Amino acid sequence: MKSYHLQKTCNKICMKTIFILIALIVVFPFVIMVLTALKSNQEITQGLSAFFPKKLLFSNFIEAMKKGDWVRYFINTAIITVVTVSLSLVINSLAGYAFARMRFRGKNTLFYCAMVGMMLPMQVIMIPVFLQIKEIPLLGGNDIWGNGGIGLVNNYAGVILPLIAHPFGVFLCRQFFMGFPKELDEAAKIDGCSPLQIYLRLYLPMGVPIFATLGLLKFVDTWNQYTWPLLVFNDPKMNTVQLALNAFKGETTTEWNYLMAATILIILPILILFIFLQKYFVQGIATTGMKD
Amino acid sequence: MTHKHKTKSIGYDKVAYFFILPFFLIFTYFYFIPTFKVIMDSFTNYDMFTTRDFIGLKNYIELFKDDIFIKSMGNTFIYTIFTLFPTLIIGLLIALLANSTIIKTKICRTLIFMPHVVSMVAVSMIWIFLYDPTNGVFNQILKALGLPTFDFLMDPNMALPCLIVMGIWKGVGYNMIIFLSGLKSIPEHYYEAAKLDGSSSINTFFKITLPLLSPTTSFLLITGLIGSFNVFDQVNVMTNGGPLYRTTTIVHQIYTAGFSEYKLGYASAMSVILLIIIVIITVINFKLTQPKGE
Repeated sequence: MKSYHLQKTCNKICMKTIFILIALIVVFPFVIMVLTALKSNQEITQGLSAFFPKKLLFSNFIEAMKKGDWVRYFINTAIITVVTVSLSLVINSLAGYAFARMRFRGKNTLFYCAMVGMMLPMQVIMIPVFLQIKEIPLLGGNDIWGNGGIGLVNNYAGVILPLIAHPFGVFLCRQFFMGFPKELDEAAKIDGCSPLQIYLRLYLPMGVPIFATLGLLKFVDTWNQYTWPLLVFNDPKMNTVQLALNAFKGETTTEWNYLMAATILIILPILILFIFLQKYFVQGIATTGMKD
Repeated sequence: MTHKHKTKSIGYDKVAYFFILPFFLIFTYFYFIPTFKVIMDSFTNYDMFTTRDFIGLKNYIELFKDDIFIKSMGNTFIYTIFTLFPTLIIGLLIALLANSTIIKTKICRTLIFMPHVVSMVAVSMIWIFLYDPTNGVFNQILKALGLPTFDFLMDPNMALPCLIVMGIWKGVGYNMIIFLSGLKSIPEHYYEAAKLDGSSSINTFFKITLPLLSPTTSFLLITGLIGSFNVFDQVNVMTNGGPLYRTTTIVHQIYTAGFSEYKLGYASAMSVILLIIIVIITVINFKLTQPKGE
């Protein structure tokens, strides 16, 4: 009996150690990032003998931000992210509400069409989507056939628009709204509410949990976007933080401390969100896996 | 005030179309039309500026003679196989560890999941530094041990494995979280019954856990497959396809042909090949997960 107990505690310690070890291995690159960002250039070349910085050079962050118009890059990214998240929540929840609660011709066909889109990665159609942005009718100097101008190239809208229709968001809102009691709608209808009023007064306030989850996922996805801004923006003034970081690497091959400092600043907003809203994150990710 | 149509007799809400209109406008313009356009353009010699003539299957014939494109397909397959399966297996093992009741280290879970939320560009920067030939940690450790050092990302035999290692590192946490929620949904009494029957823990894993986890596994497999086939960001940031085209991937070739060589017709043909691969994966998955019998 005693040996059984001993074995059990031993097992427990063993498993815990392995788990902590895995976590340490995963976090190791981030540790290197932080240490490097705080070192002097000389310490970086010294290798393992200067693994920890002697003096924490927080000034590296300021120096890194001086190399380029970083305030502008952060503002660009913030605008794109906030607008994308808001618009995508509005249009996807509206569609989700209609699919959950309204009856109309072609409902199932339309819903399946949207769901097929969920399987289609944007990379596959990046060429024609770029052309759709460039040849958008009547905008950016284009005529009605989409010729003559640059369309939405170098325009925030060129990055935002392709990202806002999110079939998965429609699906999730629909599932969520379908869980509400139908009597609610009927009561509101008897009170003389139009469908839009029902949506605004009932579904919007009650849908907050699902909007939080969806909004969070979309926020991270948009902030981390690289491919779309790369295609749509060719004016350095329009750079997002991700593009700017990549450009920064090209300029400063030897100044690793500045590069790592810039990297930290870029991932900081996401990490702060992640740490404070971890519960919603994990919930959102887990529901993604539950969609079948 | 509200203008009410008495549509109840038919039972249809015409207003519904206004609700779905914004979504479907964007969806049609940025998903549907492009899908048709990419197929149409793949039969032309479109170059963004002057010509857009129908040239039949010429692009496709050229594609299969294009050594670099064939190489990119090979690289993409290798990347997919060697990233996806280790990520799945390691993710499942960590999830099993984290799910056992004796481990209560939430902070470790958070740390393992962290790479998933950080952008691909940012993690690429970190790993470029880790792989650096002179100042990178890996080489400094090798040097301290008296071993030869490598220029990891410039070495033709090492560059792709380097991307794979980073891909696994970034994906493991996500797989762990999904597997964890799958494990939590397995009812406890299955395990109790197995215990009563005296089933060993390995037996229980293969006979109960794994079969009941199969919806989760197939979800991760299918999304992982599609995700890996579209690998682009880290290739573009870390190696730009080099050295000697050893890390170029299908999407990287689409990007290069389309946006630096302006061979849009040709790049569209590549996209169609990728589209076909993805459709095949999806159909196979659909067939496999369809409930059997009747």
